[in-house]
Amino acid sequence: MLALEAQHVRKTYGGVTALADAGLRVRPGTVHALLGENGAGKSTLVKIITGAVRPDAGVLRLEGSDVSFSDTADAARHGVAVVSQELSLFPDLDVLSNMFPMREPKRGPFVNRRRMAELARPILDQLGLRVSLRDRVGELSLAQRQLLEVAKALVTDPRVLILDEPTSALDSSTAEVLLDILRVLRDRQVAVVFVSHILEEVMALCDEVTVLRDGRTVVDAAPLAGLTIPKIVESMLGERHADLTEVRPRATVDLSGAVAAPRGSGVLRVEGVSVDDRLSDVSVTAAPGEVVGLAGVAGAGHQTVLELAAGLRRPTAGTVFLPDGSPAPKGLRAAIGRGVALVTGDRRRLGLMLDKPIWDNAGQVRSVALARDGLLVRKRALRERAGEHASRVNLRTSSLEKSAGLLSGGNQQKVVLMKWLQTQPSVLLLDDPTRGVDIGAKAEMHGLVRSVADAGAVVLMCSTDLDELATLCDRVYVLHHGRVCAELSGETLRQHEILAAMNTGTVPAA
Amino acid sequence: MTSSTTDAPRQDVDPGPGATTGSGPLGVVKRAFGMESTSVLVATVALILVIGAIHPDFLDPRQLRDVLQQSVYVAVLAAGVAFLLAMREIDLSVGATFGLTLICSAMLMRDGWSPWVAVIAGILLGALLGLANALIVQVFRIPAIVATLATLSMFRGLSLALSEGQQVVGLPLDHAFFEFFGGRLFGIPVSVLVLVVVGIVLTFVLRTTPFGYRVRSIGSNPDAAAFSGISIARVRIQALMLMGGLAGLAGMLGLAYFGSGDPNIGSGFELLAIAAAVIGGTALRGGSATVVGAMLGAVLLSVVTSGLVYFDIPVNWSSFATGAVILIAVGIDSLLRRRREARAAAAGL
Repeated sequence: MLALEAQHVRKTYGGVTALADAGLRVRPGTVHALLGENGAGKSTLVKIITGAVRPDAGVLRLEGSDVSFSDTADAARHGVAVVSQELSLFPDLDVLSNMFPMREPKRGPFVNRRRMAELARPILDQLGLRVSLRDRVGELSLAQRQLLEVAKALVTDPRVLILDEPTSALDSSTAEVLLDILRVLRDRQVAVVFVSHILEEVMALCDEVTVLRDGRTVVDAAPLAGLTIPKIVESMLGERHADLTEVRPRATVDLSGAVAAPRGSGVLRVEGVSVDDRLSDVSVTAAPGEVVGLAGVAGAGHQTVLELAAGLRRPTAGTVFLPDGSPAPKGLRAAIGRGVALVTGDRRRLGLMLDKPIWDNAGQVRSVALARDGLLVRKRALRERAGEHASRVNLRTSSLEKSAGLLSGGNQQKVVLMKWLQTQPSVLLLDDPTRGVDIGAKAEMHGLVRSVADAGAVVLMCSTDLDELATLCDRVYVLHHGRVCAELSGETLRQHEILAAMNTGTVPAA
Repeated sequence: MTSSTTDAPRQDVDPGPGATTGSGPLGVVKRAFGMESTSVLVATVALILVIGAIHPDFLDPRQLRDVLQQSVYVAVLAAGVAFLLAMREIDLSVGATFGLTLICSAMLMRDGWSPWVAVIAGILLGALLGLANALIVQVFRIPAIVATLATLSMFRGLSLALSEGQQVVGLPLDHAFFEFFGGRLFGIPVSVLVLVVVGIVLTFVLRTTPFGYRVRSIGSNPDAAAFSGISIARVRIQALMLMGGLAGLAGMLGLAYFGSGDPNIGSGFELLAIAAAVIGGTALRGGSATVVGAMLGAVLLSVVTSGLVYFDIPVNWSSFATGAVILIAVGIDSLLRRRREARAAAAGL
């Protein structure tokens, strides 16, 4: 009998179809990989299985009987547990308290620590987590905390355990630790769903594979034995992507004058740079007018390259040269002063003052942080300049007085871009710039990025969106375990090659 | 402010110069006194009228002048506190800084220093004490509320130790400094005039300088501010030094008026100053501030304490009554503000 079965699951969010016809069949005592590109519907399916989201249609069965969860607590009562991407531990509490959040065994009104310890100890031993129950969780290593997350899930004695991208930091020991965990889980006859986009891990750890594409199950519980990474990549991307490289975003607006004319060579050069534990001997160049992509699985080091260019991190060996020919300065402030602009996908936290009007946000770097307007900041000047840039980037708003927090995701990111364009940057660094924006806004943003490059700036971009990397970039460096393993451009710059190189460290022979 | 703010959302507005109104001299006055600080002004006037209706003596210009005179010190402190709250910081040592600068300047004058030099030294000392606070926060990586809780005791202790717990007397009261700053001009206490000047200058600093914008940026979203290249540490040092300097200035105004130095003067002013800033409309969550509001908040507190004298409240109950009135004032203001904000949010602004 199947431990978990989902059939013909459909879910739409306001007209956007997240799941069209998704299914998942997981046998007890197996580790089942759930794979798919960004936006394929993995996380929606996980949310439905864990009761966080209700499906529009479809059947969910646990051990043969139909279930319908009202919320996550309901799912947990039915034996579905999740270890999520973001660690959800309380760092200031000890190990034992963390294992029983909100459901401590009680003796009268008091928490029964002895009973808790009796329940917790065997699980920790089984997982090989050698810590004292009194250790503060904040003092544990990342790997230990991940194990504790699993232990916390196992205390509830689940029948289905979902590991939602559990390995964000991929060091060599993590995989071994994971293997150990999974062996324990198999012995306990738990059905494990392993959600990941790191195919190497999948190959090493899983028994069966389900692949989602565009909200549909395209590979249904296939045994791993018959699969290879190239085959999986093929099914994740499908046929439709084969000729998509033709649709390259074009510059949509004229931003000449909005970026600084390059002094010196104008080329951003990363030369033989190493950073402890993160990068070894990485060289990257990006010329004015180019959009250069950086790809890799989480922790592969591609984001570290951005951090180096932004002055957020210092190399332990090698040098980063800004377009004016001098080494990248220490600290973000200095880098900004030298013409570096940084747009992150986390615009609500790092990009915007949500309670402030658009014009105030737009002037934050040039007039406020850099004080380029002199000793006085004139509101009228700020509004005028914001208005000018708003029409250049085609910002859609009823008024510049509107608080940034009330704009749509795409428009918010345009405001972030506006505030950087005011500084006339020579380097634009993008970190997942279209995270969580809809397709139309994404296309517009791509046009703007292309426009910035055409105006003569160096553009360096990290992205988790392979389509974005393949279509927007002129060249893409793929990093694998802290090294550049491939430089793709022209014919070879396709999602297929990027995904394969990210995961294997080599470009498949065409 | 803008004509388009009340319109139904239009698509693709041309955000040209038409979107910028509300400037010009009239607009500046409107903005300085309008908006955030109107409610506290209305509350103050209403309270004066209510007390005056029951006890007409209270409306005597001399009485009102005294009320203003007494509010000056907390008002100057509250203006600085408003800056700090706007960047999500706080300084609990302001009352002690006020007291210490006052005592030190008084002792210097007693020892024969020129009062003018002693006054400059007092203000500089205040700024230095603010710098000390900022460096403690920076070096030990502790929140300002903890650092200044410690320096509150230290500064107060220094006042007591230096003066040996005694009043500092024997100052050259016939000197021009005491005559002018302790006196009146056109019937208005000079210290009140100084307060007005400070209010104008600080409003200008807050609203039109990069420093003022940085303060509000940091309070609005510290992470985004840092990512925009604003040095939070540097702005914090500047803001705490400004706070200290203002405390020093308040100390000098107090010295001019009292003509002697009491080592316990200013005890509890830190809480009054924070209350005044909050009453005035500066939100504790940061991101915005109003200097005029904070000063009016201090006036309101002064009206409350002076007004209570007119009622037969037993002396041991006056603290309780003061607190109750503050609570009512802040409570009503907060409820009204929330309603206004809800309406603004509903309008999509």
